[in-house]
Amino acid sequence: MKRLSWLATWDSFLGVVTIGLVLYAVIFVPGFATSFNISQAVAGMSEKALIVLPMVLLIIGREIDLSVASMLALTSVALGMLVQASVPLLPAIFIVLLFGGVLGAFNGLMVTWLGLPSLVVTLGTLAMFRGIGYILIGSRSINQFPDALTDFGINNVGETPLPWTIVPFLILAPLFAVVLQRTPIGRRIYAIGGNPDAALYSGVKTQKQRFWLFVLSGLICAIAGVVFTARLANARANNAVGFELDVITIVLLGGINVFGGRGRLTGVLWALCLIAIVRNVLGLSQIGGDAQGTVIGLILIISLLLSNSSNLLLDHFRSLLSTAARPKPGSENHSLP
Amino acid sequence: MNLQPTEFASEKRTGQSVLGLRNATKVFGGTVALKDVSLDLRSGEVLALLGENGAGKSTCVKLLSGLYRPDQGEIVLDDVPTDLASPLDAFRRGISVVHQHPGLFGDLSVAENVFVGHMPRDKFRRLDHAAMQRRAAELLDVVGLDCDPSVPLNRLRSSEQQLVEIARALSAEARVLILDEPTAALSQREVERLFLVIQQLRTRQVAMMFVSHRMEEIYRLSDRVTVLRDGHHVATEPVSSMSRDRAVQLMVGRSLSGMYPAKDPQPGEILFEVSALGLGDVFTDVSFAVRTGEILGLGGLVGSGRTEIARVIFGIDQPTQGTMRLVGRPISFRSPSDAMAAGIAYLSEDRLGQSLVMDQAILSNATLPTIERATVAGLISATKELGLVRPDLERMKLRFRSYDQPVKTLSGGNQQKVVVAKWLATKPRLLILDEPTQGVDVQTKAEVHSLIADLARSGMAIILISSELPELIGMSDRILVLREGQVMDEVESADATPERMLKAATDAAGENGSDGNRDKHLAGTTSLPAHQEPSSPRPLNPLVSAIRRLLLKREFGLVAAMAAVIFPVAAINPRMLSGANLTALSMDAALLIIVAVAQMLVLLTRNIDLSVASVIGLSAYGAATTLHAHPELNVFAGLAVASGIGLLCGLVNGAVVTIGRVPAIVVTLGTLSVFRGIDSLWTGGKQISADQVPQAWLDLTTGRVVGVPGLVFIAAGVLLVTAFVLRSLPLGRELYAIGSNPDGAELIGIPVKRRVLGAFAVAGLLAGFDGGLWASRYATIDARVATGFELTVIACVVVGGVAIRGGAGTVLGITLGALTLLIIRNGLILIRIDPLWLEGVYGLVILGAVTINLIVTRRSQSHLRRKHR
Repeated sequence: MKRLSWLATWDSFLGVVTIGLVLYAVIFVPGFATSFNISQAVAGMSEKALIVLPMVLLIIGREIDLSVASMLALTSVALGMLVQASVPLLPAIFIVLLFGGVLGAFNGLMVTWLGLPSLVVTLGTLAMFRGIGYILIGSRSINQFPDALTDFGINNVGETPLPWTIVPFLILAPLFAVVLQRTPIGRRIYAIGGNPDAALYSGVKTQKQRFWLFVLSGLICAIAGVVFTARLANARANNAVGFELDVITIVLLGGINVFGGRGRLTGVLWALCLIAIVRNVLGLSQIGGDAQGTVIGLILIISLLLSNSSNLLLDHFRSLLSTAARPKPGSENHSLP
Repeated sequence: MNLQPTEFASEKRTGQSVLGLRNATKVFGGTVALKDVSLDLRSGEVLALLGENGAGKSTCVKLLSGLYRPDQGEIVLDDVPTDLASPLDAFRRGISVVHQHPGLFGDLSVAENVFVGHMPRDKFRRLDHAAMQRRAAELLDVVGLDCDPSVPLNRLRSSEQQLVEIARALSAEARVLILDEPTAALSQREVERLFLVIQQLRTRQVAMMFVSHRMEEIYRLSDRVTVLRDGHHVATEPVSSMSRDRAVQLMVGRSLSGMYPAKDPQPGEILFEVSALGLGDVFTDVSFAVRTGEILGLGGLVGSGRTEIARVIFGIDQPTQGTMRLVGRPISFRSPSDAMAAGIAYLSEDRLGQSLVMDQAILSNATLPTIERATVAGLISATKELGLVRPDLERMKLRFRSYDQPVKTLSGGNQQKVVVAKWLATKPRLLILDEPTQGVDVQTKAEVHSLIADLARSGMAIILISSELPELIGMSDRILVLREGQVMDEVESADATPERMLKAATDAAGENGSDGNRDKHLAGTTSLPAHQEPSSPRPLNPLVSAIRRLLLKREFGLVAAMAAVIFPVAAINPRMLSGANLTALSMDAALLIIVAVAQMLVLLTRNIDLSVASVIGLSAYGAATTLHAHPELNVFAGLAVASGIGLLCGLVNGAVVTIGRVPAIVVTLGTLSVFRGIDSLWTGGKQISADQVPQAWLDLTTGRVVGVPGLVFIAAGVLLVTAFVLRSLPLGRELYAIGSNPDGAELIGIPVKRRVLGAFAVAGLLAGFDGGLWASRYATIDARVATGFELTVIACVVVGGVAIRGGAGTVLGITLGALTLLIIRNGLILIRIDPLWLEGVYGLVILGAVTINLIVTRRSQSHLRRKHR
């Protein structure tokens, strides 16, 4: 029974689907199993993978940040301008990360201090942050960057097919997983998302926690902004338009409940791989970006429909089992309606 | 003031049984809530239902109102066994219920709340707002609520909402009226008015049941009394033959000795004291001290201020007067975590809402406040976690399968053990227990009681709040009894009797003492306005106050914002007001408004449609390509194709949301990509340009009637129809009701799922229609049409005052919202500001609009609150 329920979790379902898809692609899709292709596919997900991390925490905590792609673009623009103003690279990156944190803090203040819904606030800042990017450099593109940055954007780690741009994610992902699943902070985030009142009554400083989650989101977006700038060797205000939808899709597909409190990072990591591979395979089959969107949208909807109906079936199955196991139904483990 | 006697009322003789229970039994899980109870409500009579908390009173009410069905026995209506299928069914059979916590709709007007479910219609089947206002005003007059029936319900205080609930029950001219603690939230004056109404209903032969804890009220009103205890029927007698003392005895029933742990209080030093503590007009001048090893009871009715005092001590609310001291030092807490750090723990009365995260495991719940102490090098250690709570859980004999089991799978009693263990793990010096044995079985109750006694013996100071008198008396060393936010009595446990406590908590002592207090209360409320006079010496001139009201309106803000753009821009660039510019502006506005209407319909029902822009794109291409392939077709065929595609998309969204039960934001995020992708596949990279479609198609929107583009008339038509449906058809009001309170809507019989599906379908239809118009206006159509437009649409409805949480929004609002956004854009372009800046400005406008809205709402609420005091 225990082993069965492990198989029935969302994480393992996604894992099985992903591995199945990889096997299919290796065998049937020409050009998939080359190191160049894999390296490209991984590099293409570098920024989204980073942004997914704080988004998971926010959505588990019953909040959302729609402004992530705009923060990425704005921090990318900021980096470009600093480099243009001959600020050395490392201080420039440091300033940009700080700037990202400030952008996130603005979101956080609007949500916690004014008590506005984060959906509306970050919809506003989605437009506003990108608009600031346009005000700063218009439709220009900054293309001159130090070699250290562009090398980081293009090169692979040693002889592996692993691009350097994914390394920040590879460092941060385990950190996030540990924080979320194994530390008091993670527990509090789940509690806030599961029942904000109960969290408050248990002494959790809910507003403070929410605020810092938004700051974190800004900070990570700034890292993603640096990675994006390095990878494309340019800084433009219209960088990464529409990324927020992809990121949220991955998070929801990964089994994070949109109303907060439920879901694990492992499922999201599988979803990240799944989406990357689907996009890559479709791209290799000469299917364009918008049409790829159709497939990903369908995967999102169908998977949630499946998980809803399978939950119903599982519950039914469980209740059948438990009534069979216990001759007296409803004696102890049933809660009052 | 007079209620018209109705036809059927005279048919009934006084004393004939109308509605009743016959040997009804109701079991929840393993708990028997009601066992073999029979009672009957007779015409022209008031039956009082008496019993302690948990005696089964509310189960009786729920059975009779169609919310529950009996497991055994039956409900009898007019001597015929009847199955009440739902509250709506009961309502239609003439059974009205006034609930203790009204299930009303905050966004609907007071009048609509009175008539929701059966609103009056005129001869064209439209809602008859005039009749509704008039009749609502009459009913409000009957219940003594002095307010404009057209204001939204959420502007009213809770006691006023209770009066609306009563008016609603009266609106149906019911044969049976069930009142479940209707007076708990009312002031004395309001209670008197209600009693007058009840007397009149009695002469109209209405059968009534009255549930109340206030003995005085029961003795004034009722003809017969039925007493319940532990789910069993104890007695039914005429009120004249049952003395108050006997009634209390029957309610309390069992003897107190033996059930509670023996007391050997050894109070130590004073640990915690409050002096002259107060919180607004919720409670005032509360002083007490509690010593280590002492159990201090706080008694009184629900709403008497007990829980509110606990909330202040625990740092959730900040006191407005008075001081708190811990071991002699003055303290104040800004948050529960401050209070916890000082060694205070508060076990809330609301287990579901404030104590437990239902989806999470037993262990995570139990260690939530103490989790920092269960870490090794910053990481949570399961062993240390267990160490924190296991001894207490084992001591309380928690019954469970594993510590990873979600708490929602536990019974009420076991859940409570988890909560108790959670607070004990914080090692509090002062433990506040608010209804610690509410809704738990007898066995658990005894276990909790012995635990409380043990804790006191070990030196913990305990404040025990309980509605159950035997528990309070049996456990406490000393008891304070509260009434209406004031300490009425302080009793040592040896002197405490249920009778004395009830007298202090209610007004059973007799007319003199209680009325004295009530008068004081009443005087307080009436004298306050006079007291406020000096602060506003001159009465406001009606014109000034009208202007002030206008300034507070969102619509005014939007008009002002538009004016602030139009005048300076027109001064710089006169082209702002040129015909060509206004025409272009009006056509943009028309396209935006139609799809904003679509979005509003969905938002009203507490859903969202992110896919509207993709629907526009898909249907625009559909219409263009159809007319390209079949130039002989009528332009209306083009619009029909576009609308059809939209309808289909909307139905898909709606079906997945309602039938598949996937949240709307997720579904439409998916279909945003799906519809756009289909569009892209369909176009295959091609575009359709102006010379490939018939001229008549392009003229549809750009052709002019009296100088105004056709598109503007079309949009105006959509707005008018929508405004009509939302305002004048029950369907429209139902959408608001669903968004305002989905559960309440279901309860009064609104087919919520069908309405939500309908909203999505119509939204799709409108977006598709808009796509057709888009194709006609812009002529050149490819797969990228309207990409990203969904954000503009959402910005427009948010600026226009549609609430993301559902239930609020007007056609006028979104029209102004659309115009504001477009005029700002137009103005910026005309003064040659880089169009790229627009996005940033839009963002600012959204944030500004929601912030201003928030401030306005808060101000008008505090304004109202001041007015009421």
